[in-house]
Amino acid sequence: MTQFLASIGYEHWILHVLLLLPLLAIPLILVFPVHSARWIALTVALTELGLGLGLWWAFDSNNPGMQFVTDAAWLPQFGIGYRIGIDGISVLMVLLSVVMMPLVVWGSWRGIDQKQRGFYSLLLALKTGMLGVFISTDLFLFYTFWELLLIPMYFLIGIWGSSNRLYAATKFVIYTFVGSLLMLVAIVWMVWTVGKATGVYSFAYAHLLEHAESMAPWGGWLFVAFALAFAVKVPLFPFHTWLPDAHTEAPTAGSVDLAVILLKMGTYGFLRFAIPFFPAFALSKTTGLVMASLAVIGIVYAALVAMVQPDLKRLVAYSSVSHLGFVMLGIWGSTVESVQGAILVMVSHGLSTGALFFIIGMLYERRHTRKIADFGGLARVAPLMATAFTITAFSSIGLPGLNGFIGEFLVLIGSFGRYPWLVAAAATVVVFSAAYMLWSTQRVFFNRFTNPLNEGIGDLNFREIAVMAPLIIAMLWIGLYPKPLLHRTEAAARRYIELIQPHLPPASLPGISTSGMKP
Amino acid sequence: MGIDLATPGGATLALLPELLLTAWALVVLLVVAWRHRTAADTRFVGLLSLFGYLLAVVATGWLAWRGARADGLPQMIALDGFRFASDALLLWIGGAIAVLSLRWLERQGILAPEYYVLLMLATVGMMLLAGAADLITVFLGLEVMSISVYVLAGYDRTRRSSAEASLKYFLLGAFASGFLLYGIALIYGATGQFNFALIGAQLSATPPTLMAKFGMGLLLIGFGFKVAAVPFHAWAPDVYEGSPTPVTAFMASGVKAAAFLALARLLAEAFPAYVLLWRPIIAVLAVATILVGNLTALAQTSMKRMLAYSAVAHAGYLMLALWAHSDEGTAAVLVYLLAYSITTVAAFGILASIERAGARTVLLTDLEGLFSVRPFASLGLAVCMLSLLGFPGTFGFIGKWYLISATLGQGEAFLPIVAMIGSGISIGYYLPVILAMTLKPTRTRSAHTTIRFPIPAKIAVAICVAAILVFGLLPNIPLNFATQEAVHLRQTAMPTGPR
Repeated sequence: MTQFLASIGYEHWILHVLLLLPLLAIPLILVFPVHSARWIALTVALTELGLGLGLWWAFDSNNPGMQFVTDAAWLPQFGIGYRIGIDGISVLMVLLSVVMMPLVVWGSWRGIDQKQRGFYSLLLALKTGMLGVFISTDLFLFYTFWELLLIPMYFLIGIWGSSNRLYAATKFVIYTFVGSLLMLVAIVWMVWTVGKATGVYSFAYAHLLEHAESMAPWGGWLFVAFALAFAVKVPLFPFHTWLPDAHTEAPTAGSVDLAVILLKMGTYGFLRFAIPFFPAFALSKTTGLVMASLAVIGIVYAALVAMVQPDLKRLVAYSSVSHLGFVMLGIWGSTVESVQGAILVMVSHGLSTGALFFIIGMLYERRHTRKIADFGGLARVAPLMATAFTITAFSSIGLPGLNGFIGEFLVLIGSFGRYPWLVAAAATVVVFSAAYMLWSTQRVFFNRFTNPLNEGIGDLNFREIAVMAPLIIAMLWIGLYPKPLLHRTEAAARRYIELIQPHLPPASLPGISTSGMKP
Repeated sequence: MGIDLATPGGATLALLPELLLTAWALVVLLVVAWRHRTAADTRFVGLLSLFGYLLAVVATGWLAWRGARADGLPQMIALDGFRFASDALLLWIGGAIAVLSLRWLERQGILAPEYYVLLMLATVGMMLLAGAADLITVFLGLEVMSISVYVLAGYDRTRRSSAEASLKYFLLGAFASGFLLYGIALIYGATGQFNFALIGAQLSATPPTLMAKFGMGLLLIGFGFKVAAVPFHAWAPDVYEGSPTPVTAFMASGVKAAAFLALARLLAEAFPAYVLLWRPIIAVLAVATILVGNLTALAQTSMKRMLAYSAVAHAGYLMLALWAHSDEGTAAVLVYLLAYSITTVAAFGILASIERAGARTVLLTDLEGLFSVRPFASLGLAVCMLSLLGFPGTFGFIGKWYLISATLGQGEAFLPIVAMIGSGISIGYYLPVILAMTLKPTRTRSAHTTIRFPIPAKIAVAICVAAILVFGLLPNIPLNFATQEAVHLRQTAMPTGPR
């Protein structure tokens, strides 16, 4: 496989094609008749999936650096380039994006019955933006993609969302736009500072990272500017309030894309930019404690809030905040295990939350409600759906043998040495998450069948099974045999830890080192 | 091509674009005297005026192509790439406004072809102002421009608000001229010179005097009025709202651009020695302008008023670029002005076309549901809003990034942060426009179906919107050009001494 990919020059064109194909397909959607829009989107999505899966083999797991690198001129006189490449951290994000894409199109197949052209065009534009964020290795390019993403998401929520969509769309854009403003100032400031120190003015990630020490005097300010942008996107407590609104009001495709990809951009940003550029400040004892505490507050608080939600989507949205807290904790745990765990949580949260949103969307298509109280005993009329939901709920709780467990376990183990008390507090959430997920599963699918309106609910049809099956298979696969995934992230995680090692304060419990420990 | 500005022939050659446009304006005036009754006449004169703009563009292009430079110090008028770039920008604005007015005047029942003559004369004034190398020319250009615009603002004379706009603009403009003239007199008293370069040489050779400081301060106040910088901005919303919409576009883009170009040249050539003195003033004005402009824009319901306050805020951003006082800063003034004026012309062009006959102004609620009826117009307006907001992918973002870069390049982080906070506030009034057009349902469907978007206006707006997007992704041409011309300007700014 690897040789075949090499023989077709895969590494030279794959990232460009992945990035630009969705964008180039938009004119086709606008030109062809309305009913072919979703077919075009599906074709593009499947092509992207096929091409993107090649990365699984073509990616060299032993190489910790950037691969498939392109460095072309864009505004050369200002050191701005079209620079792209992927490493062990971004490859999983890219894979996750391409895997979810056909599912998202499929999942919207029936739910979107008006303005299909616009919907699928925006979905494709969103995809280009997401991939752009994960593969940019030029800060100007990164910022451009980072902001451009807002437009398709804004319209996806604002046009196809549910009743309170205008409020949610506006809140989403204002939060994320305002959050990222200072990042632009920080980026330009970095370029000037490094430029004055080295004589080379460049927005290239590698160049800035190499001379990161010359930014040290302003590290605190610059870190805050970056961290604000990323924390809003994560969303880290207390910047999370936009998320439940956006999630709840967005159409299924929007919710899935938000949960699976958009939220990961924030944590990815911390791993890729905010910490490696300013490690001395970001990993200092105080900052670390603040960030890890916010993460743990988010984990526990959001789980508690999720318990009392009457709306299924809102419940899952709050569970997202809780899971993303684990990612943040893992990032600040700063061991190879915790970082790998964080990356794995990013992937598995994508799979389980994506699957949950799909099922909720399917329920909504049938009954036009998401209120838990409106359901009950659905397992009798829709056994397949109940099974799928239950498995997904278990995966979201973190039951051993399913995907959710591995990542969270690694995060807790890996962070324990640094933040024993916080980890202990975070671990309690396993109880809460079991409570809210199982309780809601019970109330929707297993209690007594009370509402006769639910009689007509059909079980999953073939298309819906096709959406759910890959997700459930992936959950089981990661849960039982995570090695191939961990293998791909390991070199990058190790390199990352080596990079920040000199700046790490000693852990609180040096005795408990987890190096060499593998589940 | 060296031109000796001291000879009549040389001066004529240097002023060729302005002279051609003036001459053509006089020719058109003759035509107007003879044909001024019907709508067809007005339209005919409008088309004639376009020819004048074309002539001036050709002349400017010819001078730029020949690489016209002054032998010795430029007197009266500058001869460098910066001036040709300014002229091209202003001529383009003037021409676009003429195109946008073609049908609009008819629709609003304003049948007076003199409008186009005034438009041309105002453009001549702007070109003189932006290209001035001498304080007397500054004043001359400013007055030619202002007096024409006073009249244009009141052109919808049967409407109360238009008359009010004209009067307000005139009174405040007269004040501004007074300050400016007094400032010129004091500078002359302190240095004995009118020429920018000679003033600069004189000021750097002698210790600062109170008279020169006062003169500079009064000049800054005069310009502050013209660019509507806080606290000299109070006239702007009323005047912008009351004037006929194409004239508002002309004021928001052309007048502002000309004043900023002149100010950039003045500060770079005449007052580099006093940089420590004027920098704090500019910084304070900029911060106040950005914050006040953006915050008050939030509260507006009328589109013209909202854009007026946003224009105030943009004057603040431009002042940051002036503050930088470097090659990059001067280039940033050019790039930002280009981005801003293209966007403003397009936005007002779309608004003018949406405006119904006899309507006072377009309210935000009038735009609701526009997308379903006029998708291209509303997409165009959305692009303009994103560009004004400074969203990546648009030319406005390039402008904003460049000016932030210029300010940071001087080691200043506070001012760009203020600029970004201003941007953060501004999403609160740009986003509702997009929201109203695309996401809200139409209130009165009939209201939008009566919209007539005339073809010439369509073309002008389409060119602008395309430029916003193309330069947003591929800004190499304007950026390189601006950088190069900024370097030229600042080379003339460093004379060895009085000659």
